Amino acid sequence: MSEPDLIARVLAGDRIAARDLYDAHSPRVFRLAFRLTGDHALAREFTQDTFVRAFGQLAKFRGDSALSTWLHRITVTVVANAMRKVKRFRERETDLEDVHPIGSDSPGVDPVLRERLHRAIVDLPEIYRITVIMHDLEGYTHTEIAEVLGVAEGTCKSRLSQARAQLRTALADLAPEYDT
Amino acid sequence: MNEERFDELMRDAAQTFRSPPEADFDGMWAEIDRRTNVGADAPVRTRAFSSRAAWMALAATLVIGVALGRASMMIGRHAAPQVAPAVVARAQTAQRADSNTSLANNPYEAETSRYLGQTAALLIALPSEAKNGRANEQFVGRAGDLLTTTRLLLDSPASDDPNMRNLLEDLELVLAQVVRLPNTHNRTELELINRALEQRDVIPRLRTAVSDNSAN
Repeated sequence: MSEPDLIARVLAGDRIAARDLYDAHSPRVFRLAFRLTGDHALAREFTQDTFVRAFGQLAKFRGDSALSTWLHRITVTVVANAMRKVKRFRERETDLEDVHPIGSDSPGVDPVLRERLHRAIVDLPEIYRITVIMHDLEGYTHTEIAEVLGVAEGTCKSRLSQARAQLRTALADLAPEYDT
Repeated sequence: MNEERFDELMRDAAQTFRSPPEADFDGMWAEIDRRTNVGADAPVRTRAFSSRAAWMALAATLVIGVALGRASMMIGRHAAPQVAPAVVARAQTAQRADSNTSLANNPYEAETSRYLGQTAALLIALPSEAKNGRANEQFVGRAGDLLTTTRLLLDSPASDDPNMRNLLEDLELVLAQVVRLPNTHNRTELELINRALEQRDVIPRLRTAVSDNSAN
């Protein structure tokens, strides 16, 4: 069934179609939410919030962009708004190891350097952090990120460039050759 | 070179930075389903209409059946003088017996036979219809109609037979579980239904009841 048909069925009150839509998009939404929060419980909560909001506003979806783009825009908005509140509670209590557990190690990368990079990504200003996570870690294109964030593609490229520069600077004392 | 090494570090980060864990998507859906009202009206309306339709159909069947029974008796009385007295006596005896048993019970028997056949078909189709612990609306709607009929039959003379009553009670339980399927989207729910069907030997008993009723 095509996505427009699926959306039409959801709007007509078909719960099965709603579940199909959720099945198709929830893995990527959860993945993005986890990358942005680094917290399983929050990622779960924000994934749920994303779909609750999406189903509530589905009638307003005009199909100008892909449904996935629209959903990821909601995800980023939900996460960004909620994380500002979460941060206020967590400030000075954050243990980096707890917030973003390290996945499978890849050989050849100095663990200290890796750790420093992870911390530097977390410390990036929000607009840069979201751009780096979506582009470099999750593989979104500049076009997709621009649509999700509602900015021009050029702005997105510029933010990524700025973000990478800040990351290089953060690593400079450990690996001077990165800071060029 | 520097750019290459930095890219290598970023590729490593893609694997290691907040590497997403396994997620409980069914659990998340249950919460989303609870918080949203997607389709909350449509299926309920359908089932409510179907339930009313089932009530009306059963009531109409019973009324027509009883009316036909009474009419047959009256026709029998009026027709008797045109036939030889011995034949009349035999016919009247047989007719009284019929009207006390089969004619009076026919509406229930016919309805019960139809109901048993439809329920058997629905439960046999359940494993393929409810893949992934979900069933489509139409299937669940049929189960809702059959659940209504089950409850009507439990309150009717059709359940005078203890075996039939036990079967109807088990079917009421299973059909109630099937009706809940769209709200849960849970494989566990489907497993519970299958277990109930197996433990209570429902399908074989249902098949026996279908063939017994057909023979009657």
